[in-house]
Amino acid sequence: MITVEHLSKKFGDLVVLKDISIEIKKGEVIAIIGPSGTGKSTFLRCLNLLDRPSSGSISIDGVDILDAKADVPKVRQKMNMVFQSFNLFSHLSVLENLTIGPVKLRGMGTREVEQKAMHLLKLVGLAEKADNYPDELSGGQKQRVAIARCLAMDPEIILFDEPTSALDPTMVSEVLSVIRRLAKEGMTMAIVTHEMDFARDVSNRVLYMDEGRIYEEGTPRQIFENPRREKTRAFIDRIRSFNYRIGSPEYDLYAMNAEIEAFCEKQILPRKTRHNLLLLVEELLQIYNPYLSATLLDLTLAYSEKKETLELVCESTGEAINPLDPNLLPDELGLTIIDSLAQSIAYSRVNDKNRITVLMNKG
Amino acid sequence: MDLQIQKESNATAVTITGRLDAVTAPEYEKKFNELIAGAETCFVVDFDQLDYISSAGLRVLLATAKRLKVKGGQIRFANVKGAVKEVFDISGFGSIFQMDDSVEAALANLPA
Repeated sequence: MITVEHLSKKFGDLVVLKDISIEIKKGEVIAIIGPSGTGKSTFLRCLNLLDRPSSGSISIDGVDILDAKADVPKVRQKMNMVFQSFNLFSHLSVLENLTIGPVKLRGMGTREVEQKAMHLLKLVGLAEKADNYPDELSGGQKQRVAIARCLAMDPEIILFDEPTSALDPTMVSEVLSVIRRLAKEGMTMAIVTHEMDFARDVSNRVLYMDEGRIYEEGTPRQIFENPRREKTRAFIDRIRSFNYRIGSPEYDLYAMNAEIEAFCEKQILPRKTRHNLLLLVEELLQIYNPYLSATLLDLTLAYSEKKETLELVCESTGEAINPLDPNLLPDELGLTIIDSLAQSIAYSRVNDKNRITVLMNKG
Repeated sequence: MDLQIQKESNATAVTITGRLDAVTAPEYEKKFNELIAGAETCFVVDFDQLDYISSAGLRVLLATAKRLKVKGGQIRFANVKGAVKEVFDISGFGSIFQMDDSVEAALANLPA
């Protein structure tokens, strides 16, 4: 359906995309993941010519759309885009947002278009908002209208540029469920997303972009469970892990807790696990407290969905010492609690740092 | 963490809300010591609204209870349940303190 060959894009001297080649077949759902600033959105914008590539070729159904004679508006009708910031027409009602494209660009009859628009609004669960204006809607509702507006043009492929990144976490699932439905119905889609569980569930293929290229691509299982290349592995590990550095005894426990809770939320960990994790972290840090004025402590939480394990690693600078040595503790309360929450606790000295590794109990 | 104080006929009922952790434990200890210094001797601490306790919280419960004992006072804990009870059980505090299923039962079990 879409063939991209040796695509590159520069902004002045800045090379954002280098030599991208890919084929997207009809019915495929491609998830595009990677760190910020690696050209994912620029790639999508090049596909529908919102940004003009610096070199390379893009063909849709065999037609080179970079040809000077190509009908760009017609290309954009085949390939529609949903943006992070919705981009609804604020002066038009929800219904008018959906009807303006087919009426003005395709010359379709108003009645027919309105009927179809109402059908699409029903599909995205917003039929009752047809006469509302965008500023009367929540973020999630706006994005669902944006998707319906896209569908009103009968696209053959939909490009999603971080469709949920601007949304309150409580609204993300309503938008993702609409996209899942489109995937089930066979819509060809390319989705730039930071929602990794969603990317894994809904896509047939995952592109990990880094260094301005498609650094690695594969099935969701390959990329998320067995990434082959170093940067992909590091990225996948990072999204499954949480890192926090503590440099003084006056660290903000509650600020750290909030970040840990956000990490647990992302991994969809049960409430009891979250509670036990917060308790485990507090107890460990209380034991480290006497050392914090003279040492840097790096805390890493790593969750493995596959093994259903949660591992904490505390790494501290300074002389070789095991802070959990019972002989060094004023009482056993903290250690007793840690012992009850842990499957295993190990001390090691690695690269001149003291490392405590705790594997949490399941459940 | 919030402490609500209610004078009962034979004791002072203290309802503790929120978390008793490394951040809030000093505040609990300070407020409780003020109550002890104010010549209160019998206490029921209601844990019904407490969501979380760590070893820091357990230590101040023990310290304040010990301080009270020196003055010949008594303390009972009511509604210790859920995650808080688990920490009590792990640490053995469940057998150190007098525990009751309700504030009413705790008040009834205190000397008149």
